[in-house]
Amino acid sequence: MTEIYLRLVDRILTPILLLIAIFLFLRGHDLPGGGFIAGLVAAAAIELTILALGSTATRDRYGPWLAPLLGIGLTVAVTAALIGMAGGGFFLGRWIQFEVAGETLKLGTPQLFDLGVMLVVVGMAVTYLLRLSEAAEAATPSAERQEPRP
Amino acid sequence: MLALCLTVLFVSAPLLWLLKPHRSLSFGWWAALPSAAVTLWQMGQLVPVGQGTFWVERYGWAPTLGLELALRLDGLALFFGLIITGIGTCIAFYTAHYFAGDPRQGFFYLLLYAFMASMLGLVWSDNLLALFVFWEGTSLTSYLLIAFKSEYKAAVDGARRALIVTTAGGLALLAGLVLLGLEAGTFSISGLLATPGIATAAVTPIALTLIFLGAFTKSAQFPFQFWLPGAMAAPTPASAYLHSATMVKAGIFLLARLHPAFSELPLWFWTLLLTGSFTMLLGSLSAIRYTDMKALLAYATVAVLGMLVLLLAFDSSYAYAAFVVTVAAHALYKAPLFLSAGIVDHAMGTRDLRKLAGLGRSLPLLAVTVTLAALSMAGVPPTLGYLAKELLLESGIKPLEQGEWLVGALAYGAATLSALFMVGAILTLLWEAFFRRHPEEEGARLHHAPSFGFMAPALLLTLLGALGALAIDSVQNLLFAPAVAALAGEPVELHLKLWHGFTPVFLTSLAILGLGTAVFLARSPLRRLLNSLPAQLSSLFVYDQLVNALYRFAYRITTWIQGSPLAPQISVTLLSAALLVAYAFAQSSLASLPLLDSLEMPSLTEWLLCVLALFGALTTIRARSRLSAIIALGVVGLTVTLFFLVFGAPDLALTQLLIEVLGILLLVLVFFRVRPDPNLESGQGTSWRTISKLGMAAAMGFFGFAVVLINHISQVGESISPYFLENSYSIGRGSNVVNVILVDIRGYDTLGEITVLALAALGGYALLRSPQLPLLRRRIQLARRQNGAASQPTPPKTETGHD
Repeated sequence: MTEIYLRLVDRILTPILLLIAIFLFLRGHDLPGGGFIAGLVAAAAIELTILALGSTATRDRYGPWLAPLLGIGLTVAVTAALIGMAGGGFFLGRWIQFEVAGETLKLGTPQLFDLGVMLVVVGMAVTYLLRLSEAAEAATPSAERQEPRP
Repeated sequence: MLALCLTVLFVSAPLLWLLKPHRSLSFGWWAALPSAAVTLWQMGQLVPVGQGTFWVERYGWAPTLGLELALRLDGLALFFGLIITGIGTCIAFYTAHYFAGDPRQGFFYLLLYAFMASMLGLVWSDNLLALFVFWEGTSLTSYLLIAFKSEYKAAVDGARRALIVTTAGGLALLAGLVLLGLEAGTFSISGLLATPGIATAAVTPIALTLIFLGAFTKSAQFPFQFWLPGAMAAPTPASAYLHSATMVKAGIFLLARLHPAFSELPLWFWTLLLTGSFTMLLGSLSAIRYTDMKALLAYATVAVLGMLVLLLAFDSSYAYAAFVVTVAAHALYKAPLFLSAGIVDHAMGTRDLRKLAGLGRSLPLLAVTVTLAALSMAGVPPTLGYLAKELLLESGIKPLEQGEWLVGALAYGAATLSALFMVGAILTLLWEAFFRRHPEEEGARLHHAPSFGFMAPALLLTLLGALGALAIDSVQNLLFAPAVAALAGEPVELHLKLWHGFTPVFLTSLAILGLGTAVFLARSPLRRLLNSLPAQLSSLFVYDQLVNALYRFAYRITTWIQGSPLAPQISVTLLSAALLVAYAFAQSSLASLPLLDSLEMPSLTEWLLCVLALFGALTTIRARSRLSAIIALGVVGLTVTLFFLVFGAPDLALTQLLIEVLGILLLVLVFFRVRPDPNLESGQGTSWRTISKLGMAAAMGFFGFAVVLINHISQVGESISPYFLENSYSIGRGSNVVNVILVDIRGYDTLGEITVLALAALGGYALLRSPQLPLLRRRIQLARRQNGAASQPTPPKTETGHD
């Protein structure tokens, strides 16, 4: 098991980071942010969990979602691009607007497409991080893992 | 209505899968329903099509490419369509028994119906490109069906071979079809056939050769016939359906489609004549050699496919009629034979002839089925197979009567010889499996007798084939005449009869039966002779050698380009980039560039950031451990982030920051696995290495500098930025221009990029789970066990050339 402070940081920071990712994603169309950035933040959050709990525990938590994530992301992106077809063009944006508490919210296929981007980025980054961490853990005997490397 | 039929079949595919059909044996009725419905509808079309009213439907697909979903139900399409859905109905019913209780039954239905829809689309299609799309659909579903029992190596190998051969042919076919379509100015098939002068166009020989490649690979003609026996690893319903009754006839169908326009060309005639007769002989000769029932039947199928190609070479009404009757007869006897082989396999646990004997006593109904089908295959009157053989011989004897001795002798001789060996092969199967008393080896025992429902589809098809010829008068006008008319390109009247009197053809038929029996009696020496042939003669051997050579070639290229460690590899790439830029600079006259006019003096902040970046870079170089080098590199990255902020690009800055964080993490994790370079770790690089790396770094610095400079001062055309700024809100409804560009205005690019990302993730996943990992783990465990728990474990080691 890893250091307790890392686990504590994970407990506190990972949910916050994931929330930030969602926040960045939602505001992305009008302010700095967006799917790519949000995906990277989410990947960083998951990496924190990997560092804190080890790859096995992380895989138990996110594993079932991980493999399909790339496929789902691509499907969502293509679907968003295809929705415009009915209106006469690939990638033709479709929008809906509604009022919530005085604020105008708009949702459209570009944002759906952005969601696909985000999922693919998360899937890609976490696939690499998990695999490499597993390799690193496999190469490190468990007794030595807590000690700093010479 | 045509599109509706296709949709019904396409939708049935996933539906049948989701219904989990293996839970009930009576599901076969439901599974057969969609194709039965389409069959019934097609039967209703027989009369109008016979009168010349064709059902035509057109749907736009990508009109600028000439691609439209054009469906046209003429005689040939209806004839093939009836075979596809009619036999498909029987297969769907049979599958419920074949896969009784197997959870994979649903998936099989999915593939079966997806194939049926593609195949039906192929024969109904009136557009060359749409036909190609359906064509590839059948190739893919065939691949999945052959590899269905993916736990067996034979299945996977056979599937891969079939896929490579048929899709390679498919590519050639696409090229040929596009050439033809461009030459004719239309991609519509009926339009193409009506184009005057298309047969004599300069491009036609090339286009036809390419189309031949596609058709011959698909229809298992020599030298591509080897994939078909390998495809017998598929479950038996798939073998019966795809690899004898329907899919392998796709190539034949395409040739028949194009027949009216090109049949007068010598290229067409001789190619089909020679390929067809050779394939026919090869297939029928090989069939008797095999003791696996399915392999024997597969080679017999190759022979019939060759026969069909041979018939398409000719231009006489006999040949047309022979073609159509042979297709029908073959579908009606070969599918039941395959289905029966599957039943034998199920009941006895083997389909090896050496272990079988006396099935006639234990499975009498099956024996009746197989005997009837075998009679049709051997061409014994009054079956449909007999009629087919008579017509084949008639069309072969025609050139003889007209004095074309060479052609006549070739066609007639090949037909006679091949028919004779076919008789021998099927008699062997019939005798050894069903009627002899003792098997050659230790005999298999009956596990469980098949139910009547299991045998019913085969029996039904056999009866149709055996007795169809008795009603030939009505069948020929209703079913055969429209198909023949489509082949000939004009209405043809058929006068098919079972009895012609004692003509030479009839006498030849009798001789074939007699000599075929002689072949059957001499089967043991024949088998020994065929088995003693060297393996180098088979095209399978040649194919495997070619594929192996390709692998070796790829391996050599890879080791040549990527065999060295990572650093030299990257140096080559980077240096060539720098050289290119230097070349560009040398070519352009530097003096003419308005160099310094447009540049401003940097502000204090920018100066500070520059110093910080330089400081980080220097620290990276001078770092003693890799960890500190990575951290110092991070400083450089963060400085770039600050640069972005200073220049007002918060999106870029944010992305850069995050990439930097994840990049450092990845670097740490990667370096954890890579063996440290001893020179670098000890800081004692040789002077030559240091100098060369310094040179490289300088070149790269120059490269970056030059690229930025050129970008800045060479304005080609108008800048696109104002367009984005103006339209970002009006088109994309977002005030974050960067995001709108990414997800809306240039969404195509982003889609491509995330596809690359996803592929890179898959590649990395595969690379990182390569066999080295478990090996490494095992080595460490071993080392620990040897050293004992107290001693220091060995530091992690990994082979290079991996990252």
